[in-house]
Amino acid sequence: MALDIDRYAHVDSSIQSWDPRLKIAALGFFVLSVAILKTLPMAISALIAAVIFHRISKLPRHFVMHGMMAAILFLLPFFIILPFTYPTQNQTELVEFSFGWEGFRLACLIFIKAIAIILTSFTIFGSSRFDVSMIALQRLKCPKMLTQMLLFTYRYTYTFLDDMKRMQTSMFARGFVPRANLITLKTYGNFVGTLLVRSFERTERIYHAMLSKGYQGEFHTLVTFKINRKDWLKFCLVVIVVVSLLSGEIFSGFTPAEKGWY
Amino acid sequence: MHISDGILSAPTLAVGFVGTVALAAVTMRKLDMEDIPKISVITAVFFVASLIKIPIGATSIHLILNGMVGVVLGWRAFPAIMLGLILQAILFGHGGITVIGVNAVMLGGGALLGFMVWQLRHRFQIKKRELVFAALAGATSVFSSGIILALALLTTGEAFWATAYYVLAAHVPIILIEAAVVGSSAVFLTKVKPEILAGQKDNPTSSS
Amino acid sequence: MDNIKESTAIELDNVYFTYPDKHEVLKGVTCSIKQGEKVALIGANGAGKSTLMSHLNGVQMATSGHIKIAGYEIQKSNLNQIRRQIGIVFQDPDDQLFSPTVFDDVAFGPLNLGLPKEKIEARVNEALSVVGLEGFENRSSFHLSFGERKRLALATVLSYQPDILVFDEPSTNMDPMNRRKLIKWLQASEKTILLCTHDLDIALDVCHRCLVLADGKIVADGPSKDILYNRTLLESNNLELPLALMTHELLHDTLHAESMDEGHREVIGNFLHAHRHVHGPDQHEHVHIHAHPHDHDHLHEHVHEEHFHDLKHDSDDHTHDHDTVPHSHDDEKKETKTE
Repeated sequence: MALDIDRYAHVDSSIQSWDPRLKIAALGFFVLSVAILKTLPMAISALIAAVIFHRISKLPRHFVMHGMMAAILFLLPFFIILPFTYPTQNQTELVEFSFGWEGFRLACLIFIKAIAIILTSFTIFGSSRFDVSMIALQRLKCPKMLTQMLLFTYRYTYTFLDDMKRMQTSMFARGFVPRANLITLKTYGNFVGTLLVRSFERTERIYHAMLSKGYQGEFHTLVTFKINRKDWLKFCLVVIVVVSLLSGEIFSGFTPAEKGWY
Repeated sequence: MHISDGILSAPTLAVGFVGTVALAAVTMRKLDMEDIPKISVITAVFFVASLIKIPIGATSIHLILNGMVGVVLGWRAFPAIMLGLILQAILFGHGGITVIGVNAVMLGGGALLGFMVWQLRHRFQIKKRELVFAALAGATSVFSSGIILALALLTTGEAFWATAYYVLAAHVPIILIEAAVVGSSAVFLTKVKPEILAGQKDNPTSSS
Repeated sequence: MDNIKESTAIELDNVYFTYPDKHEVLKGVTCSIKQGEKVALIGANGAGKSTLMSHLNGVQMATSGHIKIAGYEIQKSNLNQIRRQIGIVFQDPDDQLFSPTVFDDVAFGPLNLGLPKEKIEARVNEALSVVGLEGFENRSSFHLSFGERKRLALATVLSYQPDILVFDEPSTNMDPMNRRKLIKWLQASEKTILLCTHDLDIALDVCHRCLVLADGKIVADGPSKDILYNRTLLESNNLELPLALMTHELLHDTLHAESMDEGHREVIGNFLHAHRHVHGPDQHEHVHIHAHPHDHDHLHEHVHEEHFHDLKHDSDDHTHDHDTVPHSHDDEKKETKTE
């Protein structure tokens, strides 16, 4: 299970060495702007920008591809549903169904946007240690409680994954075969229940351990950030990209994907 | 089922974001020191549990279990689900960072509604009360999530109306499966450790 | 005044505790542990050891009775102060390692104390070197092996620098080498140590005093050599003799055999060092396990010069006038010293 989002955080690149706060702010801004694009030419430009950001970060291709598989599988059906269900008068006859180009273009648009966003998301969070990213979010005014809980959840996911694997092994060793029937569902119901009971008991012990080491509600850290001129330069570059995309979208006269290719 | 980046329109995303912030503010207001590890650990459990695959026919689906989160955490189900979604977006890229607002309202809101249905059990004295109301909670959660997802698609544009119908249809088998799993989990917990379930009246240390 | 206050590390006075579900677990626990002592708290499962432990730093508060740590009575208002004096190392390392990196986990305690950055780094380095995990600072805690995590859990408490250390089942699931390292560390430490454990052998090795907890009360409190050698006491509390001492039963049978051939003798020589002594006015026999005054790695090494052994008995029925019998190993076969 590829939980280690930050396993390439140590790689040396311009993005890895970018101050995490500025990186998250800038690329986050980029991602939001991609989400509101409606024209294909701008979407493609955004994708190109996203690919460039990714290449700069030197994160391996397989690392990213692996993560995008789920999203791609989710998006593919749109290429079938949208063209055939788009409410329109212009429909080309394809076999016996009516194939609408509007729907197809729309499917292309969302696919391209999604890839650009997800790729950038990996670039952002794959280039810093997870806890450093969380602290950066905190410094960007994200609520402390939230980031602290995220860190905790991340850490304990590993423990429960182990627990789950062990429980599954034991279930399968006793002849359990998951099928589409009530017994399977009941078994999984008990499985989830067991995990919950274990987690509740564990949670109490963790809290006791934290209290024993002086926990009083605040989490402290020694991590400090320092910004230099290069960091601001990178920030401005990304802002320029965002502004170009948005002005291209608004002023260049390209038509929204539904209406035309450009 | 939660939605991926790139699909929804800007206004829809904005509404989702505002809704999430509002719901988070309300449900997280009274959290205390002990809640932080508790919610995190339970979220981790659900995160891991959502990786279980159940085969139906030729494919397999993942459990959503937001109804279960509601039954166990009560109002705190919302921050828990939000946490899980953020983590999922960051680690897996699927159900991504721009749509967290909408996804949280959808799944978290569903969990809250499921909790409310679960709480209704206090008004009835029937046999197998926990099974019935937990199953209903599970069903309600998935159903409301489906409705909210459909709404998000509908408000994005006419192009997605057909998709919205398919999505709702796809939720039907999921509703049944979740009802069964949540129901049997609740039965298990009632026997083994009833204080885990939210809103238990006879237990002074219950969470609600 | 301060000296007197601090000489008692842990003091429990008639402590009672009942869970909210009306289950009474502690029924009047009273004992006192002085600074620098190494004490084992033993008891069967369900006796109340874990519950008692969680009272020692105020995580649970007693229903009635008093607890004093380093002279300060535990109250809701001084919990921070108390927790600076006493550190608890819990059984499952996963419950105690919850930060992203090893450094962060060990720094958690000092950070909560509000220490400046340099001091924190110094404490972390020190704690890590004590447990042998130098260089691990940037690794993530949950990717370490079990033994490493156990040691790390200890380090997270050491960096807090309490004078009193309480351990919950420190040796469970540990491999022999790490267990031995832990024992050596405990033996050398100058802190006050309370070991709550089932591993009676580690209690034997480390602690000079034992407390037996049964059914929520302390039923025995005395030197290890009285308690851990007392089969009757242990078995009546659902415990057993330490493994190191149980072997005498094997010997009893073997050495009483009428004909002991070379093969048998060699087996015994390889496993233990023991003698069958005959002594006392009525010439009774015992198999004695020997605690040697000198170290040797192989128990079957022969020592030729005459030396003394402490004699332990497998039951409390009687005592001897002398506790030592002078002999050398060359005399082993014909040994019938009387006193």
